[in-house]
Amino acid sequence: MVEVKLHDIGEGMTEAEILHYFVKAGDSVKADDPLVEVQTDKMTAEIPAPANGTIEELKIEEGTTISVGTTVLVMNAEGAIQKQEESKSAEEAAPQAEKIPTSSSAATAVMEKTQGRVLASPYTRKIARDHGVDIENVEGTGPAGRIMDEDVYRFIDGGSTQEVEPAEEKQEAPSRTYTDQQPESIPFKGRRKQIAKKMSHSLHTIAHCTHFEEIDVTDVQEWRKEWKSLDQGVSMTAIFIKAISLTLKDFPMFNAKLDEENEMIHLEKDHHIGIATDTPDGLIVPVIHHVNQKSIKEIHEEMKSLTAKAQNNELTSKDMTGGTFTISNVGPMQGSIGATPIINHPEVGLMAFHKTKRRPEVRGDDEIVIRSMMNVSMSFDHRVVDGASAVTFTNRFAQLIEHPNLITLELV
Amino acid sequence: MVVGEIAEEKDVVIIGGGPGGYNAAINAAQHGFRVTLIEKEQIGGICLNEGCIPSKVYTTSAKKLSEVPGLSSFGIDVGEPNFSLGNLQSYRDQVVTTLRKGVEALCKKNKIEMVEGHASFLSEDRIGVDNGHQFDVFHFNHAIVATGSRPRYGQGLDVDHKRILDSRSIFHLEEVPEHLIVYGSDYIALEVAMSYHQFGSKVSLVLDGGKNDFDFDSSINKELGRLLKKQKIKLYKSCELKSVENQGEETHVSLLKNEEAVLLEGSHAFISLGHQPNTEELGIDRLKMDLSEEGHIKVDKQMRTSISNIYAIGDVTEGAALAVKAIKQSEVVSDTIAGKPSEFDGTFLPTVVHSIPPIASVGLTEEEAKDQYGDIRVAQFGYGGNGYATVHGKREGFIKYIVDDATDLVLGFHGLGEGAVELVSTGTVALEMVARDEDLKFPHYPHPSFNESISLAEFTTKREKVKS
Repeated sequence: MVEVKLHDIGEGMTEAEILHYFVKAGDSVKADDPLVEVQTDKMTAEIPAPANGTIEELKIEEGTTISVGTTVLVMNAEGAIQKQEESKSAEEAAPQAEKIPTSSSAATAVMEKTQGRVLASPYTRKIARDHGVDIENVEGTGPAGRIMDEDVYRFIDGGSTQEVEPAEEKQEAPSRTYTDQQPESIPFKGRRKQIAKKMSHSLHTIAHCTHFEEIDVTDVQEWRKEWKSLDQGVSMTAIFIKAISLTLKDFPMFNAKLDEENEMIHLEKDHHIGIATDTPDGLIVPVIHHVNQKSIKEIHEEMKSLTAKAQNNELTSKDMTGGTFTISNVGPMQGSIGATPIINHPEVGLMAFHKTKRRPEVRGDDEIVIRSMMNVSMSFDHRVVDGASAVTFTNRFAQLIEHPNLITLELV
Repeated sequence: MVVGEIAEEKDVVIIGGGPGGYNAAINAAQHGFRVTLIEKEQIGGICLNEGCIPSKVYTTSAKKLSEVPGLSSFGIDVGEPNFSLGNLQSYRDQVVTTLRKGVEALCKKNKIEMVEGHASFLSEDRIGVDNGHQFDVFHFNHAIVATGSRPRYGQGLDVDHKRILDSRSIFHLEEVPEHLIVYGSDYIALEVAMSYHQFGSKVSLVLDGGKNDFDFDSSINKELGRLLKKQKIKLYKSCELKSVENQGEETHVSLLKNEEAVLLEGSHAFISLGHQPNTEELGIDRLKMDLSEEGHIKVDKQMRTSISNIYAIGDVTEGAALAVKAIKQSEVVSDTIAGKPSEFDGTFLPTVVHSIPPIASVGLTEEEAKDQYGDIRVAQFGYGGNGYATVHGKREGFIKYIVDDATDLVLGFHGLGEGAVELVSTGTVALEMVARDEDLKFPHYPHPSFNESISLAEFTTKREKVKS
């Protein structure tokens, strides 16, 4: 008998929703056949069968969210060797689940103990209410499990996410009354929570430094026009990605990972470029792998398919991992002229592309010409590289964009 | 009927002027809202006009009457008491009118707009009020549904309010029934049975739904059984109700006990089978409001319904149909509308019965506690050992409280006997304060008093039965 459990399938996931079973009890399956589709806060993934065998029992209903380590289904595996392997990996998974207690399991434990009764005095309950804290989420440390004032304050200080700003106090003047709008609470979980965790981890770890540059993109736009007239539509971003890759070739320190523990800087040989992508659920970063080995056209096609997958929530774990450098193209949103982007840890650099504007430019012989100018913001890890190398990095990138024919020199 | 074309703008509209509705109106007005209170009958609702207050006039009369024979011990000789139902009814009307006028004055003082008529929702922010010759449409920012409940009959019982009575009509009888058959087991059934017994009726009490006992703690059930027997109120347990029929002067209640037919021949029958929420005529079928299977409006701890600007309080919501609940919820709902954090928690809602002697209960019964906590301790003290009870000649009764053996946490508090209705508040406060046994024993209780029983109660340990 093999218990198939939910494993951490990357990105530090702690829970996932059971979306769909591909099998039912009694079905026979082969090793690696997909058994069940799960949805984490970042992606959809399939759990494959660990061995040949038959499905014994589906443990969790579709639509249920479970934490890592939970048994999803039980199957009868053929062959003792596989059985052993599986039970071993099941054992590995179990303590992992214990290590990351989810808030929901802690709350349930308290509930069971109190049989639905709130073990707090009315005064303590009011403190919780006034701070927007659900008393049932607070663990009591007092006698008989009683929730003390201090427990509530500790819960508040613990950066609880459920805090709701108390709405404005009562109104005056009966001549004209205004409606107090109830504050709306949005659950802080899933992708939003994951983003928050990654962002604060990056900011706490990396010595961020950002500089700005303006780049003349008039000639690249001309190239694109020409390609389009030949029915070869290629996006600006695809060209930027290629240019980043060519720049990384000259400055490998920007395609590195700092390993502080072992006091090493690992220089990655391949260029896997992450593309910050906005989705209704928040930011995610699908990765185009081996950009250094791909043509602009290939990059363009792959980017299109990744964006579609991101928007349809179909990204797999592989689509989202392994990045070595990240870009963020906010230009099409016609918004900012500069930003201080947060680096996608453990990468070293991130470049953001801002809006392009027709501007008067002064050329060599004091001639004013109208050019299409784009601002970029380049964030780098100052622990790994210094400002000077960052400037030369940006200069090289600007050179490739301003004189796009230079790119042809790099053709293999 | 003239259909109003223009919707009047209202801020807070409350439907129903019972204890939930009028308290919510006063609270909301004190928070600075403009309040409109719609009531189709009389302000005060069932509680004031037909329920708590009139019934307490009757139970108080019955209690006083029961004390007359004992007065001679105190040197007061009044001879045979002469009971006049007519005088009692006049007094009831006087009490109800006084209280209703008080409520009306409070509403007026708080500038609450009173609208008479029958209200029903037209949409999520509009309500229509029909008062027979006019139909007004109000557009509201917030609405509070406090339409209450009415007696439930079920089982095809034909309540004619003359010989077959419910909790409203029982207090309007012109004469004391010769033989009153009470069908029910709740506080109303007990109060009616014991009151009319004191007024001179022969009373038979049939537990509803085939129950083999009351729903109280087992110690109360046992003592209650003994007291009913002593008062010569015949108790029928585990009986299936077949029919209640009025035949002129007689009312026949047919029962089936152990597959044998039992026929009770009384003059009147009284039916108490709980309450039915008043939701049908509210027009909420036009709205997508979540209701329970029994038709109660579902609300959260802040009294919000599934529609964000409509709230519900009192009997129309799930849980016990008690004014104490409605009054607390009226505070919570007005705080919620005013944006102040507030919550309702009905875990420790006390149950009281103004029987002779009274019964009061809060928290878990011994049986529930054993079931949920395993090993428990039970502290009990009989009024026989209480000096003040002896002085009063009220030696019947006891108090009892239950603690968790592992943590000493107080789990439930029960009392049967004189003063129980006031005594239970000590238990309620203890439970809300998460008290343990010593927290109840340590304080000083006046001597002599009924309260003393709490500090005198001795524990016995009850081990959980090993489940096989």
